[in-house]
Amino acid sequence: MSGVNAKAKSGVLELSEETRDRLAELRALSKKTEAGDKGARGELRRLVRASSPEVIGRASDVARRAGQTLAHTAAGGDLLTEEALHAKLDYMRAEIAGEDPTPLEVLLTERVVSLWMLVTLLEALVATQYRRNVGDASERLSPSYVLQQSRILESATRRYLAAIRELARVRKLEAAVPAATGSFGRRGRVSPG
Amino acid sequence: MAWEERERGGRYYTRSRRRGGRVLREYVGTGPLAELAAEADRERRELEEARRDREGEELERLEALAAPVLEVSEAAEILAHAHLVAAGYRRRKGEYRRVRG
Repeated sequence: MSGVNAKAKSGVLELSEETRDRLAELRALSKKTEAGDKGARGELRRLVRASSPEVIGRASDVARRAGQTLAHTAAGGDLLTEEALHAKLDYMRAEIAGEDPTPLEVLLTERVVSLWMLVTLLEALVATQYRRNVGDASERLSPSYVLQQSRILESATRRYLAAIRELARVRKLEAAVPAATGSFGRRGRVSPG
Repeated sequence: MAWEERERGGRYYTRSRRRGGRVLREYVGTGPLAELAAEADRERRELEEARRDREGEELERLEALAAPVLEVSEAAEILAHAHLVAAGYRRRKGEYRRVRG
């Protein structure tokens, strides 16, 4: 890993308290609606319309900047590699989001792209350390460290695959929602009150 | 690892090892050879501690790098779910179904 102070950087790369509060409200209302609370659904729709564009925007921004930080770390000071990684991330964004994505699709795309970058970086780190582990004994890593590192990689990979599935699912279900009831925010699709 | 005192005077060096869930104390010796063994053990312990510290810091760095991505990932999941539920879907056994009413 390069000399990037990841902790300092990640301090900036986090959702605000306000955004977290909105997310907690959305989560609670979704739960109530699913449990059959009829009043909750209207309230959820109102909250989705009122607060989600801003929350989605902020989360997308954090995801984008997190991906850039990871690319910087993965490049390890090599500017050409860093540029290539940024170009790759941009290419992935354009390919995955497609034309005229909804704000939610943009966020889900950023999620896939940043998780891809995280998995790629972790795989490279694990591979480097495995190579180091067959060399000089004094450089060898403890089994518990290798295990913990593998768990972080496994968790990131699982989330990456889940993120791809989620985007595909949202697109499929979004397409099935009648225009009058949609709440996904595609142009021309307006949900009633 | 310890130096033990003898009742009749003098001291000897021992090592403790865990084997099959039990701690076994092993006599190493006395005099200069025991001093050398103790010094080697001390160096080994210090190297081990330094490696543990290094690995701990490295894991913290990895977790700090992953944290924003994982937080946003969770946020995206909550938002996608809220949008789908608001649009009239319910999740059952991991699958979304549209409900009437």
